Amino acid sequence: MFDQYLGISPKGDLLLLQMLGEKLNKRSFLHINSTREGGGVAEILQRMIPILNELGIEARWEVIEGDPNFFEITKKIHNALQGNPEDVTEDMWQYHFEVNRRNAEKISLEADAILIHDPQPAALIEFKKNGSWIWRCHIDLSNPHQKVSDYLCRYCQRYDAAIFSVSKFARSIGIDEFIVSPSIDPISEKNRALTEDEIDETFNKFQIPRDRPIILQVSRFDRFKDPLGVIKAFRTVKKYNDCILVLAGSPATDDPEGEAVLNEVKEYAANDPDIFILLLPPFSDKDINALQRTAAVVLQKSLKEGFGLTVSEAMWKGKPVIGGAVGGIPLQIMHGVTGFLIHSVEGAAFRIRQLLNNPEMSNRMGEKGREFVRKNFLITRQIRDYLSIWYSLENKGKNVIEL
Amino acid sequence: MAEIIEPFEFKQCTSIIKSTGKKAKDLPELTDIIAVISDECIFHHTYQYFLKGHILEYTNDFAQWAGESLEESALAEHLSNIDPYEFRNINDLREKIIAVIDEYLKIFPEPRKAIPGEEFYFNETVTLIFPVGIRVKNLAEFLTAIKFVDTGSVYYHFYEARIRLGGGVDDFSRWIEDVFEKKELAEKIRAIDPLMHNIEGIREHLLEAVEEEVRKDMEVIDRCLTSI
Repeated sequence: MFDQYLGISPKGDLLLLQMLGEKLNKRSFLHINSTREGGGVAEILQRMIPILNELGIEARWEVIEGDPNFFEITKKIHNALQGNPEDVTEDMWQYHFEVNRRNAEKISLEADAILIHDPQPAALIEFKKNGSWIWRCHIDLSNPHQKVSDYLCRYCQRYDAAIFSVSKFARSIGIDEFIVSPSIDPISEKNRALTEDEIDETFNKFQIPRDRPIILQVSRFDRFKDPLGVIKAFRTVKKYNDCILVLAGSPATDDPEGEAVLNEVKEYAANDPDIFILLLPPFSDKDINALQRTAAVVLQKSLKEGFGLTVSEAMWKGKPVIGGAVGGIPLQIMHGVTGFLIHSVEGAAFRIRQLLNNPEMSNRMGEKGREFVRKNFLITRQIRDYLSIWYSLENKGKNVIEL
Repeated sequence: MAEIIEPFEFKQCTSIIKSTGKKAKDLPELTDIIAVISDECIFHHTYQYFLKGHILEYTNDFAQWAGESLEESALAEHLSNIDPYEFRNINDLREKIIAVIDEYLKIFPEPRKAIPGEEFYFNETVTLIFPVGIRVKNLAEFLTAIKFVDTGSVYYHFYEARIRLGGGVDDFSRWIEDVFEKKELAEKIRAIDPLMHNIEGIREHLLEAVEEEVRKDMEVIDRCLTSI
């Protein structure tokens, strides 16, 4: 599997991975999260564990078990950490701890490095036996509900280190706090190269014509993704350039508003034959890949965003991306170089027109975007960072480590 | 007996970012923190700016924040004009940054605050240095290697070396001068302004300079052969 990244990932990353693999040979690396399938964390772990093992590290992935009550509580914790006002009572925290305690009895926590993903299994730290314990937070913690964040911090402070996705998500909790961006896997179904036949298959399935440039946004039907703003921008563009809009998203089972938003979008689109609203079933990775590869311009017009990896996905396919200047999007789009950062519907419309009218500029930006993703947002870089952090914790106090 | 040539061994560095947990929402807070934050943090936001592959609108993170988040373009210009390689140590650089901001605040005492989420986040790094497995013994091999290595390797030998070795000299020109006594080529490489290019730009200038030298050497050989 590791060999598949040769010629794709930066040489230095692959080399460093092999060297760290030698340094950490036969050492054990345990990952714990709360779901085996669904969501970005599970998706990356499925790919990461075999690569780590191939590098000579004894990597193991365990999933904590909980009942619906537990996940109800952790959903509240999750929402509160993202800024929603939620009441997480002492009893709920006690239950959260109790479920963690039960899992600690079932799961072997013996390892040289233990990476705990997100708040659900965070209390496992209370059952630490040995090794370096690292808490990996994938959540936007820039504006958390203070009481919930403080309670969780009691656990976090007992870890050897924490990892956040963006600098502004880091908290001042008195332990080493590292910043590691999420990543995409270039050889996964969502990002691998496709044949023309495979692309045709998707377009035939959805009956989308390919005779005009396609403007695409891939996202859940969520108001924070501003689908109505995208349609408004498209209507402005249509006055000048003949094009097609595709809004594609999967239904999110954890989002009760999803259906309402989808209906609003359909109503607003008003049966416009040039607007295609696709509600994709789960595991539509190949279709998303085909749509991204065929689009002339990709939008991520979010008003609020965690990291927004769909931006990197599109950039990896050589597309210029127009994105809202929120969350992790400005870390991915270099304004004017790999795409445009926008702050309004008008901005989105103007930048779409610019790209449609300047295919050369569009291609140039797309190429730069792909190289930017190659250097910064591929899975091999993320694994490199995890191993580097583990290794640095074993060389504590050193700012420069020579291998 | 053949002369023993000291080979050039290519290395590379990679940094992992570490948060200090400190942030500033306006210029007075920024200078207060700059005054006390670790040397590693100042180093990261100035010297390591070029490792991040930015577009070259600014030359350090402080300037970039002033220009983009505070929209204080004049201050961004002043800060971009600071050459970190002019300073003997981090503290002198730290004082210069504070002086430039203080001077600006005398003229514009109430600049805007950053909107929430756009604050300046103070980070530092842990740097890992590793050999990339390439050793070269002559300029032609060097030329091939420069084309091949990652940007992290060019950064290590061109930027990081100036601090590591002191004296503001990069590894490449030092090797070329020490081993081949090609002073003119070494000077040409030293004349590449590190603040005015991104790493790919530095790579292009290096290639151009070394390629010209290799071509000249080949022409000399060619002339010698013709005269035989």
